[in-house]
Amino acid sequence: MNKYHDDWIIAAPGILLLCFAFLVPVAGIMVLGIKNPDGSLTISYIERFLTDAYYLGVAWRTIKLSCIITLVCAIAGFPFAYVMARASPNLRVWLMILITLPLMTSVVVRTFGWMVLLGRGGLLPEALYLMGFVRRNYSLMHTEAAIIIGMIQILFPFMVLSIVGVILRLDPRIEEASRVMGCSFLASVKRVVLPLSIPGIVAGSLLVFTLSVSYFITPSLLGGARLPVLAGSIYETATKSQDWAFAAAQSLILFIGVLILLIPYISLTRKSHG
Amino acid sequence: MAAVVLNNVTKLFGETAVIKGISMSIAKGEFVSLLGPSGCGKTTLLRMIAGLEQTTSGSIIIGEKDSTALPPEKRDIAMVFQSYALLPHLNVFDNVMFPLRMRNLGTRQEQARRVKDVLEMVQLSHLATRRPRELSGGQQQRVAVARAVVSSPQVLLLDEPLSNLDARLRESMQEELIQLHRQTGLTTIFVTHDQEEALSLSDRIILLNEGTIEQEGTPAELYGAPTTRFSAGFMGSSNILDVELVMDGDACRAMLSAEDVLTLAKGYVRGGASTITFRQEDVQLAPAGDSTCTARVETAIFLGSRVRYVVRAGLHCIRCLATDGQIFKVGETVALQVAPNRIRVLD
Amino acid sequence: MVRAVPPWVRGAAALFVTIVMIFILGPIVVVAGVSFTAGDYIAFPPQGLSLKWYRTVLDSNVYVQSALNSLQLAAVVTASATVVGTGMAIALHRGRIPGTGILSALMLSPLVLPTIVFALGLLMFWSSQVGRTSFVSLWVGHTVIAVPYVIRTTLAVLSTSDRFLEEAARTMGAGRWKTLIHVVLPQCLPGIAAGAFFAFNISFDEAIVSLFLRSPEIMTLPIQIYTQLEFSPDPSIAAVSTLMIGLTVVMLLAIDRLLGVQKVAG
Repeated sequence: MNKYHDDWIIAAPGILLLCFAFLVPVAGIMVLGIKNPDGSLTISYIERFLTDAYYLGVAWRTIKLSCIITLVCAIAGFPFAYVMARASPNLRVWLMILITLPLMTSVVVRTFGWMVLLGRGGLLPEALYLMGFVRRNYSLMHTEAAIIIGMIQILFPFMVLSIVGVILRLDPRIEEASRVMGCSFLASVKRVVLPLSIPGIVAGSLLVFTLSVSYFITPSLLGGARLPVLAGSIYETATKSQDWAFAAAQSLILFIGVLILLIPYISLTRKSHG
Repeated sequence: MAAVVLNNVTKLFGETAVIKGISMSIAKGEFVSLLGPSGCGKTTLLRMIAGLEQTTSGSIIIGEKDSTALPPEKRDIAMVFQSYALLPHLNVFDNVMFPLRMRNLGTRQEQARRVKDVLEMVQLSHLATRRPRELSGGQQQRVAVARAVVSSPQVLLLDEPLSNLDARLRESMQEELIQLHRQTGLTTIFVTHDQEEALSLSDRIILLNEGTIEQEGTPAELYGAPTTRFSAGFMGSSNILDVELVMDGDACRAMLSAEDVLTLAKGYVRGGASTITFRQEDVQLAPAGDSTCTARVETAIFLGSRVRYVVRAGLHCIRCLATDGQIFKVGETVALQVAPNRIRVLD
Repeated sequence: MVRAVPPWVRGAAALFVTIVMIFILGPIVVVAGVSFTAGDYIAFPPQGLSLKWYRTVLDSNVYVQSALNSLQLAAVVTASATVVGTGMAIALHRGRIPGTGILSALMLSPLVLPTIVFALGLLMFWSSQVGRTSFVSLWVGHTVIAVPYVIRTTLAVLSTSDRFLEEAARTMGAGRWKTLIHVVLPQCLPGIAAGAFFAFNISFDEAIVSLFLRSPEIMTLPIQIYTQLEFSPDPSIAAVSTLMIGLTVVMLLAIDRLLGVQKVAG
């Protein structure tokens, strides 16, 4: 179509970049995961993943940790988002900036901060020791708890932003109406705002879950080699054992899992954007 | 000489025809309104003249130059948008200068002088350095108009430019538009759905309905002599009655019922089922007595200087706007009269 | 605003928000604190105050070189992502090229699809089709993940502008390209600036794509830190991290001056 040639021209760099630097490489890795060296199709790599207890353990840990992270983010995210939505616009912007500040610092820097806080002699283990929960020289490093704490800090903003968008679009008069009809403050939040925020909570949960299953720097630094998650396992397989086909197969599994969750996410966010 | 000529233009959006073969010729200096309900194609037609929509068939000639295939920037036109579309990053002066810069009209000094003149004409000289968002709605509207007239285009296109203003501002802007038209003498095409606006501004009104011209003429013609049921309804004639016409000697009478009769003006010679129309302010009510048509008052609404009645004569509901002192009660029987020359028979 | 919120709820809300904020910002504060230690190993609270670890960082060839690499990379990524993203955003906003809906979903997909899959894919593709990984491979990889941010910020600004501006410009004698330069781009500027901020920030902080696409001679700052964390962390990491955070904060303040903070957060 010649009619909109200017649109094509300004979109062309993006389309080329998308195709050659994103779609083709990602498609390539998908194909590599189900192809023998001679080019025929195979499910042997996937089979290897699904039958090896070690990798099943990796998958299970990934899903379990992501579920916990998502749940905590959702439970803490809704009240936070509600407070933020009902705060004065100025305060809201500053909360928004502060809560997204971790997103604007490098993942290695943030993780380093947690390593200091969670490691031997760090503030958290010391506090636990003083409260009598743990023995001296206890370290939270290389535990699943460490991974969960580190990841929540990173992913919490995504949840809050998803929910805040939905609450801000609610008509505040709905709450006033429910108060007039006899709801207490908390009841009106629980019975009116919460149900209406469900789309935001679900969208935020899907987003947090998909992001948490694919992170690897934080889990690998805080969890260490003994607690690998799927993304970390992909990195190890690709760089340490140089088994690219198997790394590709694991990527394929991760990718498909994420894609399955993203489809409802996209339809949800599209609906709420109206 | 015609400033704009449309030859049998049509527009298809996919399968649906939005403009179904419209021809018109607009004389230089004329102020023409395209009037019609939403969805009648008036805005599409204006956008076709501007070159913002492609013409499916037919031709558009602007200033004796076939412009059918020209993009908007190559046509000698200017347009005022409903939202004004002022460029938010430029101040008032630069906004008005924009068309001159883009069309390379004159030197920099000449451009600046023209902008100054036009701003003076719309009384905005003191706001020249303001940004659009610092202006009121009416001021923004004047900037949009100034920006449109500054390049002295062959034709000025106005797309419902007054619809975003409140009622009082709209009235004063109407007066300003009339004055501006007189000063500049620009050929103007004005799109509106508001019949009063069209009546008060135009030299000529073209009434559109479903992509065709329903009726065209001077405001007086459209107001006083609608030829179709659609024109009559759209121009605010609230009484459109399906009646039997009977010849009685050389007078033609409309039978509202067996006993109730309205006499038509001389010259109508026809009988059988027809549609007649008359305006609510042309109906006269009087205390019941000796008359050819009686009616019963169904509702009476007091409007201050006037009273609006809905009365029933036979099977017909008739609306009337009474200005004289006498007030009738609901349920009362009244004599109803319409001057014969005020009643029109529709095609 | 809803009134009549019980005071204890207000108090609880304030406490809750404070705790969350401490949790979110704590690690960053800790990093900054560690960097000022006078001691020889990582500890929080710091053992005495000194700037000696900043001295170490600035004297260290490794840190300075990787910082220069990162800045250079972030600069070119910002340029390319801004150009690519702005053009794409304008085309998507106009929505006239066929398949706009799918295109916009695909363009934004690097935001949500696993970066590690993309990074591995690009590494394999690059090795088989182009050759050794280099500065250029990092540039391409970072651009792909930075472009969606530019698209989002630019689209957000465009969606609030008068949709008849372009048509108005055309009726005033501006052709397609003049309209783009004199009307559309000036509208986009706040979005482009916010997008450029994100692009720079992402490239400067990025670690995943860099881990895969790095080459031995190009060490970026985050990779340098990552490697040190795995082997021999000392307070110099805290110092260099604090410098990185400082750069982000400075840029944030600059963009606030330029656009108002609302624009960036929204």
